[in-house]
Amino acid sequence: MGQGNLGIEPEVLKAIYGQMARIRAVDKAIQAGLSAGKFMFTYWPMTGQECIPATISQLVTERDYMVTTYRGIHDQVAKGVDLYGMFAEALGREDGVNKGKGGSPHISDPRSGSMVTTAIVGAGAPIANGLAISAKERGEDRVTIVNFGDGATSIGAVHEAMNLAGAWKLPVIFMCQNNQWGEYTPIPEYTASPNFFGRAEALGFKGVQLDGNDPAAFYKGMSEVIEGVRKGNGPVFVEALTYRMGPHAGVGENYNADKDVLAAAKTRAPLEKTRALLIEAGISSEDELSALEAAAKAEVEDAIARALQSPVTPATETLTDVFADVDCVPKRGHYPVREAEGALPATVETMSMVQAIIDAQHIAMTANKEVFILGEDVGDPQGGVFGTNKGLQTEFGKNRVRPTPIAEQAIIGAAIGSSIAGMRPIAEIMFADFLGVCLDQIANHAAKQRYMSGSATHAPMTIRIQAGGGMGGFGAQHSQSTEAWLLHTPGIKVVYPSNPVDAKGLLLSAIDDPDPVVMIESMMLLYTLKDQVPTGDYRIPLGVAKVKREGTDVTLISYGWELNNCLAAAEELAKEGISAEVIDLRSLVPIDYHRILDSVKKTGRALVVHAAVEFCGLGAEIASTINEELWGKLKAPATRLGADYAPIAYSNAIETSQVPNANSIAARVRALVKS
Amino acid sequence: MSTTLTIPKLEMSMSEGTLAEWKVDDGADVKEGDVIYILETNKTSRDIEAPTSGKLVRKAEAGETYDVGTEIGEIV
Repeated sequence: MGQGNLGIEPEVLKAIYGQMARIRAVDKAIQAGLSAGKFMFTYWPMTGQECIPATISQLVTERDYMVTTYRGIHDQVAKGVDLYGMFAEALGREDGVNKGKGGSPHISDPRSGSMVTTAIVGAGAPIANGLAISAKERGEDRVTIVNFGDGATSIGAVHEAMNLAGAWKLPVIFMCQNNQWGEYTPIPEYTASPNFFGRAEALGFKGVQLDGNDPAAFYKGMSEVIEGVRKGNGPVFVEALTYRMGPHAGVGENYNADKDVLAAAKTRAPLEKTRALLIEAGISSEDELSALEAAAKAEVEDAIARALQSPVTPATETLTDVFADVDCVPKRGHYPVREAEGALPATVETMSMVQAIIDAQHIAMTANKEVFILGEDVGDPQGGVFGTNKGLQTEFGKNRVRPTPIAEQAIIGAAIGSSIAGMRPIAEIMFADFLGVCLDQIANHAAKQRYMSGSATHAPMTIRIQAGGGMGGFGAQHSQSTEAWLLHTPGIKVVYPSNPVDAKGLLLSAIDDPDPVVMIESMMLLYTLKDQVPTGDYRIPLGVAKVKREGTDVTLISYGWELNNCLAAAEELAKEGISAEVIDLRSLVPIDYHRILDSVKKTGRALVVHAAVEFCGLGAEIASTINEELWGKLKAPATRLGADYAPIAYSNAIETSQVPNANSIAARVRALVKS
Repeated sequence: MSTTLTIPKLEMSMSEGTLAEWKVDDGADVKEGDVIYILETNKTSRDIEAPTSGKLVRKAEAGETYDVGTEIGEIV
């Protein structure tokens, strides 16, 4: 049978309806189960939006990537996520596609191409770019489709992602399912925009508006869009018009909607309209469609019945999937002994920390063509605002050293997406203070992806940030030590070298690590501290502290630039007959409690020193652990010294006094030894 | 096999609901999809449909407020 007047092959229309029927069966079963109290989970209904993913399902395969949102059950069903695994996941069961650790708002099922589901509005768009980068760099013809609602167009992440995709001509489709509602607030209450697709045109790439409730028209429009994106013509923003029949969350009808508007929307509802069309056009008989619907219902009922039999994921699973290796999780009473680095290469070269970082990246990029750098101004000639990538773009080209727009969410999201696809991105964010503008991508996505997906996917990426402070002239927004933000986020590893040799070896370990790692580089050390750095590839393992100076009276525990203040203080104290042992943590997560406790057992006293604010800092955590573990063996309570509780001041007099320096460290040690 | 009816959690913030009115007599036959009772929450009132077909057994009085998860009836 030809297209006739339908504008679509009858078999395709029937297949689209088949997917719509499956989606409807899932939607109804969830609503019935929730209403009956058969199960309890939060549901964000997508009733009325079935046509969009049902149609797309006929134009993509499991090789194409999808990113979607918490209101994305319809997308998951049409993408081919196994219904049993999906329901088991929604119910928090062991057999869930993500071991019951993510739930329905965090489905990640690489087998079907459903890569990431986020419950943070708009946050999927930057990640989709990363998936698209991987496809483009590998010469694959996959497209990435990121679904989000019209409400998400208001959030910055979507704008940042669209701008980057346009600039880099990425094979990504921004699928805006315009259901007329941003949660409980309708258009035009939250925007004066006449439409959303026009925003793509403003950013220099194609935007189209399609009727997302008309399968024939939507199929035709999407065929062209997907074909163009597959060919490499760059991104497209699709505004698919539809209407959300349900409330933002829960079951039933959209009770915020005006009754007349809702009634009118019902007459345009895609499932009912498509069903009528199939019969009218003589493509399907009533019996045939009833049988198809019954089959969909049976498939769903079977999936739910089996899912309810799967055991609830037990508490013994709590710490697995935080990191690839459960031993990296900090846990009271469990202090694994990690092997230190062996002998480093004998040939050395004098290098600053900047040169050591460039050298490490050079080695990693030479060894693995999937390592690439992205960040603001990272290209040559400047090689990054601090020159930490100088020469690399000249050698490796513009695709592997990618200067980005000033858009940190886009940078981190691109790193997350490409790393989920298996690449090894290194994202440079500049000042540690800028973590704030991309913390959602780091803390909610990079850090949690492995856990939320039950290790179905993970983000093996490296983030490099530079910390100011203590050197004057940068002011409160470029001087902060923000490591505690990261340390309090399970799923992120943090390293903080105090010298060029460690910087190179830690960075090489970070790039190869299976988990996201943030390396904090001290501005104080980048240019000033030179060292004899071994040439070639060598690794400093994560989670291995190093004794930098041996002593017997007190243990000073520190990292980054404050480590050097501790060494200076120890030198002063030695003149007074106080023997201080100095430990460089090097890696903050995983942390090396084994070596910390071993040292304090010997000295009986401990002071943790950091440039970050003392209140609620890592020092408090370490001191507390030492006191708990070595109570009775200590000569004085372990304690900590950090910055005063204030933003970093511009006044040089304040700044030099508000963070620990060699004198203030020595003074604290004297008091400790006397007590 | 009987199906237990409990006060559902329809909204993230919902902890209790009022069984405003039974729409089906005790012991009467219901078809899947029939409205069996009206549930009032702090946001709205909803028609609750029978999740399956069978005979309704009421186990709770209308007009009362119950915690989410409380058994209010059964379809046998």
